[in-house]
Amino acid sequence: MTDTALNTRDNLSLIQRIRRDYSPLVIVMVGIFLLVFVAGAVFTDDFLTWFNVKTIIRDAALVGIMAIGLTFVTLSGNFFLLSMKEIAALSIICFATLMSADWNQWGPVEGDPTTWSLTMTFLVAFVATMVIATVAGALQGALIGLGGNPIVVTLGAAGLFFGIGSWWSDNLVVSYRRPHGAEWLGTGSFIGDIPNITVAFIIIAVVAELTLRHTTFGRQVYLVGANRAAGRATGHENFGMAIKCCIIASVCAAFVAVAFSGQVSSAHVNYFSSEFGSSGDMTIMVIAIVMVGGNSIMGGYGSTLRTSLGAIFISSIDNMMVLNGFNSGARVLAVGLMIVFSIIVFALVRRGSRAVE
Amino acid sequence: MERIKNWVTENPDLSFAILLAITVYTFFAITEPLFFTHRTGYAIMERFAVLGLVGLALTLCIIAGEIDLSIGSNAALAAVITVRFTDDWGAINALLVAVAISTSIGAIQGYFIAYLRIRAIVLTVGTLMLLRGVALFAAEEKTVMLTDFRIPDFISTKMLGYFSPASLLVIGMFIVVGLFMTFTRYGREIYAIGGARKEALASGISLQRPMIIVFAISGLCAGLGGAIIGLRSGTAQALGLQYLLLAGTVAAFIGGVSILGGKGGVIGAAIGTLTVNFLNTGLVFNVTPAFMVQLYLGILLLVVIMFQTGSRVFEERQRRSQLLDDVDRRRSILSDKIAALRRPSG
Repeated sequence: MTDTALNTRDNLSLIQRIRRDYSPLVIVMVGIFLLVFVAGAVFTDDFLTWFNVKTIIRDAALVGIMAIGLTFVTLSGNFFLLSMKEIAALSIICFATLMSADWNQWGPVEGDPTTWSLTMTFLVAFVATMVIATVAGALQGALIGLGGNPIVVTLGAAGLFFGIGSWWSDNLVVSYRRPHGAEWLGTGSFIGDIPNITVAFIIIAVVAELTLRHTTFGRQVYLVGANRAAGRATGHENFGMAIKCCIIASVCAAFVAVAFSGQVSSAHVNYFSSEFGSSGDMTIMVIAIVMVGGNSIMGGYGSTLRTSLGAIFISSIDNMMVLNGFNSGARVLAVGLMIVFSIIVFALVRRGSRAVE
Repeated sequence: MERIKNWVTENPDLSFAILLAITVYTFFAITEPLFFTHRTGYAIMERFAVLGLVGLALTLCIIAGEIDLSIGSNAALAAVITVRFTDDWGAINALLVAVAISTSIGAIQGYFIAYLRIRAIVLTVGTLMLLRGVALFAAEEKTVMLTDFRIPDFISTKMLGYFSPASLLVIGMFIVVGLFMTFTRYGREIYAIGGARKEALASGISLQRPMIIVFAISGLCAGLGGAIIGLRSGTAQALGLQYLLLAGTVAAFIGGVSILGGKGGVIGAAIGTLTVNFLNTGLVFNVTPAFMVQLYLGILLLVVIMFQTGSRVFEERQRRSQLLDDVDRRRSILSDKIAALRRPSG
């Protein structure tokens, strides 16, 4: 793919640039795709309403945050983590177990003489969950950074985390009572009628994008992903990079787990599996978003902005199909088709110009 | 004795796999009184029928330097098709149709991977979701069931002590694929594109043929495995069989494949699968819940990967230090010579 970032300053119009950079086949395919989408949007009742737009973004938020975390891993050239939903499962169990624990048995706390406040319990549970997610991410990152294949490592780690989560919770639902400290994150809203989780999604998307564009770390991610040999020659080993990126992905997954747990006031290891959700396996959904957003799966090309847009795109397609009365089978099929379609389009784009590794 | 020693030094991975298999078996045979019986042997072979196929498929993929993530979805699709259409078309026809569909899905995947020159994981993670959707569609989002239970009975009939029609079929499959990989040109091409892809392509091997063959076999194994599971249990779920990928990968890695490709073989796949089956069956005797089995498998895979990666890093470091030593030695020889040349004149 010709690097569009370098060509933004020449005096070609947008259409000319697109015609130069992409083959006609790709333009036609993407065009048909967008046309179908726009037609669907116009002809579906209640699709283009403020309420529905809010719903779409809220639906996109949970998977979207996870996908933003995973984008760092993908951009740094480490493919993807097959253990996203298992990290989330372990985190949600950890969070809910600590939320449901009876903290008062340890005696009164300093400054709060009568009882543990809700916020305090939430903070302890939240921090502990993040610590566990960081450890989980660092473990995988270290193995990947040492040269282990990301897919196989995270496949094994997925089994490990899922097993630990099931063992910890005894494969039961862990629930805790309302009111609790996570409600404001799961279901609350402090800006008008926009849910807090949507706000969190937007903030995380902006922060991630700024990190990638304007910090040294962000540039290092692109460097290591685009050209590992050049990265090594300039002192940017993949070892540290893999650990950092995996930690970011894991922490994002843990955050989603906390928010989801706050919504339902409970936890179970299967909450993120396809047996529970209607729209398929969480890990695959997250990978789908990263791919459909148009990030190069080989690393070095893409952005978290693309990922966020991908999340909203998939969510709106899903929403459109629900409004038109499609079952979950058709929706999973549609997402699958979108992934395969985007893989083929990007492979065709890449085939023409970039050297094949 | 000498011969065994030679064989072990020539096949370190395979001998490690055999040692591990024997260790696991002996451990459970000692701790569980019922483990060392004919019935358990039959149960292990029954598990082998399915897991062996997946282990074989993943072994071939990893030999070719790729990995097929869609194997669970492909198996689930085949299971749904077989179970759903057995009543209408008869078991044999439904099975053949399902396996044909799975095989052609595999072949198409292989073709696209070679044509687009992408890594298989990229495409197969997409088809993983796509095939789940197709399977949901085929099952109409319900759990499909058999009505005639003579078929499950036939598939599990005990033959020759330890075997059933299903496991005999799978053993036959292993033998055929093993002969194919060892004695035909196509088999050697698969090893070539896995171990040294650039060199293989430069020497005129097309990427397309071996890729299509590998993924077609992978699809065939997945389809056959799914169909056997479906017919044996009498039910099939579109979202089931996800555990196959982890178990199959563990089996392949115990069997001695390397993630870099080009290494391993069918015998290794068989031994790796048997080890996983011993572990599985032994843990069932211990009344271990299913999720704990997953935990152990995960740890096992991580340990194997750690060993492989560690030994690779170690070798690389050793080679580098050897290289540096070599340079140092030459430099010192050179400086000695220069000194010797200078001395008389100075």
